[in-house]
Amino acid sequence: MLRVDHLTKRYGDTVAVDDLSFDVAPGVVTGFLGPNGSGKSTTMRVMLGLDRPTKGQTSINGHAYHDFPAPLREVGAQLDAKSVHPGRSARNHLRALATSNAIPLSRVDEVLEFAGIASVADKKVGGFSLGMSQRLGIAAAILGDPGVLLFDEPINGLDPEGIRWIREFFANLAREGRTVFVSSHLMSEMALTADQIIVIGRGHFIAQGSVDDLTRNTAGTVFVASADNARLAQSLRDLGASVAVSERGLEIAQMPSNRIGEIALANGIALSELTPQRASLEEVFMELTADSIEYGSHKAPS
Amino acid sequence: MSGVTLASVTRSEWIKFRSVRSTLMGVIVTTVLTVGLGALIATAVRANWNQMDPIRQLAFDPVSTSLGGTLFAQFAVGVIGTLFITSEYSSGSIRTTLAAVPRRSLVVTGKLVVLVGSLLVVTEVVCVATFLLGQSIFSGVVPTASLGDGAVLRSVLLGGVYLTLLAVLGLALGLILRQSAASISTFTSLLLVIPIILFLLPQSWQNATTKFMPSALGRSMMSTRAPENFFGAWTATSLLVLYVVVAFAVGVVLMVRRDA
Repeated sequence: MLRVDHLTKRYGDTVAVDDLSFDVAPGVVTGFLGPNGSGKSTTMRVMLGLDRPTKGQTSINGHAYHDFPAPLREVGAQLDAKSVHPGRSARNHLRALATSNAIPLSRVDEVLEFAGIASVADKKVGGFSLGMSQRLGIAAAILGDPGVLLFDEPINGLDPEGIRWIREFFANLAREGRTVFVSSHLMSEMALTADQIIVIGRGHFIAQGSVDDLTRNTAGTVFVASADNARLAQSLRDLGASVAVSERGLEIAQMPSNRIGEIALANGIALSELTPQRASLEEVFMELTADSIEYGSHKAPS
Repeated sequence: MSGVTLASVTRSEWIKFRSVRSTLMGVIVTTVLTVGLGALIATAVRANWNQMDPIRQLAFDPVSTSLGGTLFAQFAVGVIGTLFITSEYSSGSIRTTLAAVPRRSLVVTGKLVVLVGSLLVVTEVVCVATFLLGQSIFSGVVPTASLGDGAVLRSVLLGGVYLTLLAVLGLALGLILRQSAASISTFTSLLLVIPIILFLLPQSWQNATTKFMPSALGRSMMSTRAPENFFGAWTATSLLVLYVVVAFAVGVVLMVRRDA
């Protein structure tokens, strides 16, 4: 269990994270979603004791990170695929990490094998592709067999086979009862990878829930086609719905489908189609974070 | 299973230290500069000995002369010490390190133990070797010294101490500045540029200030008798230790306080 408790982090005048609070439960894969620069990496760095919070705190299973006698056996983290000395071999990198936390060196070979980089273990990391570096980061994260795992943008640079492998890997970790926290700015990816999603933008909490919750509660519209679209549109508008008329039918927002059906019946209008339109997570995400994209494209001032 | 301890962190830092090529290169350069330039200086002295001014012949110190290459090797050890920490910042691996060992004082202490332990062994061997080589070059023409003489042994061994302390100074500057280029150029300024600026001052000011410079302290440490206007060996050693301790303490405080 990960807890972020009223966390604020400022770098000079820049507020990276602003009064952010959420919990991450074990046993599921939790996606941490936000546009670039929204404070995801900062939050993760504070969780790992790398950056000091300006206000608030984070805890892992009720403890501050620096209280763990052997942190790698409690928390595994992959922060940045390139946080390895380029002149060191993958094996030596993992050996140094294992040694610092009194993890048996036999574990190094196991995780190299697991991550599929055993054949390049003695090559310098500087020559690794992004995908191989990601796999080394994953090997480092599971080195201490931790119950809590953090991954910052782990999917970047992986090939399709690698992406399928890593989804499976996250799901297995969660099934084993571990806490799995995965950041991404790619909502379509998170829809497939995560069970639970936390959305932030500009350092603020925006939403938390399952993919279903998020797509159901936000931006859902209903498509309707009927014998008399014009009259139905008027009736629905009178009762508070917002209606867009097209040649094919009506796109109705701010009214659930059952209510639309009742209104059509009351007006004696036969419906030929009544279809709730699920917003894709991508649309939800765009809508949720529309105000909080730091480097979005803006219209030129007129 | 125990957790993170100074012993485990030191072993981890030792793996890191010896698993990058820059360390090996640094040790090779240190050895080549100390021994090679030492031999070159000794050969030049031997060749010119008979033309040398008798007063200078009288002041000749076979120990500091044979160790003359250390004045060049000091930059190599400084780079070894600096890169031990700045390469972690430039590659981003410092975050991996500190996530594994959240107590940062343990990380820097581990690095200090590894750096001092390994460089002291290397530089003492190199200094003794270059001293012996120098004496064999001098032998027959130029007066020589023997390690059996207490003052000689002290001067040779303090040569290794000097180089090791400068490696720690490099580490300290790396902790403070976190960038290889900035740290190495600061190191070079302290050892080379400032003494040159002092050289432009009036003689009396020079006499009062030059002796405090790290390279002058090194010369005092490696001489059997104190050069004119310089400190004695032990005063010089104490002063250099003081500089290094202060710089290192500043580096540790900054490292512990700053975001990684």
